[in-house]
Amino acid sequence: MSPRPLAGDRLRRVLALVPWVLEHPDTTLSELARRFEVSERDLERDLELLPLCGLPPYTADRLIDVWVGDDGAVSIRLAEYFDRPLRLTPGEGVALLAAGRALLAVPGSDEHGALARALDKLETAVGARGGVSVEVGGATHLATFQAAAEAHECVEVRYYSFARDVETTRVIEPERVFHAFGSWYVAAWCRLAAGERLFRIDRVRAARATGEHFEPRARPGDGGGELGDLVYRPDPSDPRVTLRLAPEAAWVVENLPQDSARPLAGGGYEVVLAVSGPAFLERLLLQLGPLATVVEPPEAAESARAAARRILARYR
Amino acid sequence: MTDRLERLVNLTATLLATRKPLTLDQLAERFEPPYPDDKAARRRQFERDKETLRDLGIPITVEPLGLGGEQGYRIRPEDYYLPDPGLTPEERAALHVAVTAVRLDGDEAREGLRKLGGLEGTAADAPFAELETTPSLAALFDAVARRAPITFDYRGERRSLEPYGVVLRWGHWYVVGHDRDRDAARAFRVDRIDGEPEVGAAGAFEPPPDVDPGAFLRADPLTYGEDQPRIARVLVDEPRADWVVEQLGEAVVAERRVDGSVVVELSVVNREAFRTFVLELLEHAEVLEPAELRAELVTWLEAIAAPATGEAGP
Repeated sequence: MSPRPLAGDRLRRVLALVPWVLEHPDTTLSELARRFEVSERDLERDLELLPLCGLPPYTADRLIDVWVGDDGAVSIRLAEYFDRPLRLTPGEGVALLAAGRALLAVPGSDEHGALARALDKLETAVGARGGVSVEVGGATHLATFQAAAEAHECVEVRYYSFARDVETTRVIEPERVFHAFGSWYVAAWCRLAAGERLFRIDRVRAARATGEHFEPRARPGDGGGELGDLVYRPDPSDPRVTLRLAPEAAWVVENLPQDSARPLAGGGYEVVLAVSGPAFLERLLLQLGPLATVVEPPEAAESARAAARRILARYR
Repeated sequence: MTDRLERLVNLTATLLATRKPLTLDQLAERFEPPYPDDKAARRRQFERDKETLRDLGIPITVEPLGLGGEQGYRIRPEDYYLPDPGLTPEERAALHVAVTAVRLDGDEAREGLRKLGGLEGTAADAPFAELETTPSLAALFDAVARRAPITFDYRGERRSLEPYGVVLRWGHWYVVGHDRDRDAARAFRVDRIDGEPEVGAAGAFEPPPDVDPGAFLRADPLTYGEDQPRIARVLVDEPRADWVVEQLGEAVVAERRVDGSVVVELSVVNREAFRTFVLELLEHAEVLEPAELRAELVTWLEAIAAPATGEAGP
């Protein structure tokens, strides 16, 4: 979002709270402050400003009348032109509907509950019935991890490691289940690795709650920050590969975390990527084919050749 | 700063309450806090205020007045007021949970909620989802709401669409609707649209009643493309079989073998996407049929498997 001047932010707030107060005359300062996420001090400053505002010629009967009682009760009069809220901008409308639709799409949500009704009403108000659809999908073992994270219960998982193309069985302590980049993840303490690990739930081949409970730790992501950062977190100790990409392979730069990407004459890139596991690199080079050249290390190119030969063996 | 805010509130109130458009002179004459006397400075200040209001979603309309070429300004009530959605406190509380449970770039969902009466009840315990957003999404949604056709460049082609909705699937936004040139239902990935879409006149079409935008997207991304469809059979070994079935759906399974592998049958309309899909599975998959697609994959792999020539590639 582009930075807005402060006056715009305050105006936005004033235009949101005046209709509310007009409709709810017995509201209080503390209620308003909580509802509109503003300090009582800032709120009082907004309310002090309003009696200076109104319509020309700015005589007493044309100025907004604000009254704050000793008990903090707030009422506003003579602002009938602000008696209904301002329309949502398209950005606000789509963001609200997307957030609501996403929550409603989570398996187990009440399809006919308050949220569903709110979204239907909103869509009607903005004239876009059915206009926003969000699918977060389900994953076979999602409910198991949700319940385990809630109850602090250990889960034994058989997990396919995409980066290394191997399957392992391990016991994890699920801490947080979340959706990002179109997939469900469980962030967990992994007893096998003795560390925090992230598991993509669609790569879990079997999951069984063990009945054993664990002592909850501070959950990853609790300190704020983006959930997606939990996903895109290249390990500093991972080996690096330098690739020269043709312009048609620019999606690599857009989609994979990288140390650096240097544009080349003609539209390509030279990128340095973290290699989270051998299978990750094999897949990438097999899929890119002639669109990528390994700059270094030479073993990376050799691993792609070996992987190609392994697959070709099936076709002979 | 307080002066500016006061002027913005007054400007909004005045332009909203007026029945006929006001010229800048008429406005300035009676306005408080006053606009500058100097004409150029006044114009600059007014344009800045107009811009601030527009950023907040308050459009000021400019209308010609009489013959003198003079222009008048006002805010049309229908542009300003939100038709009351009639939310109950419980419904507002549900939206509060939604905007705190689901993260999007920026703060627009919360801003919208403030307009609807602010935060009711309690926030979600913790965020559980993060959704992609993409710059032209708001403009596309606006076109959906106003029934305005859009024109845009997509993979080197000019496309023209009556947009029925926006859909987030597989972590990407799509705009779906009726493609005017193809005269057929189509879906386009929003982040692959080149530049800003051009939005035509509002009210230019009527979407079918009870349209379901999600139904415009086929079951999986593999089926996107304009290549001549070919039916392919792919053998997927046990370690990846259940993942493939979960991704593509039970309907694609043509055969389940005793060793746990499956044969899936796919309609290939995008050969590049098909190759990428098969290679994603490394040596755990094999294209069985048709011979043509099998041969294409072999050629692709042979080029990679060939010993290095010492030549740099592209």
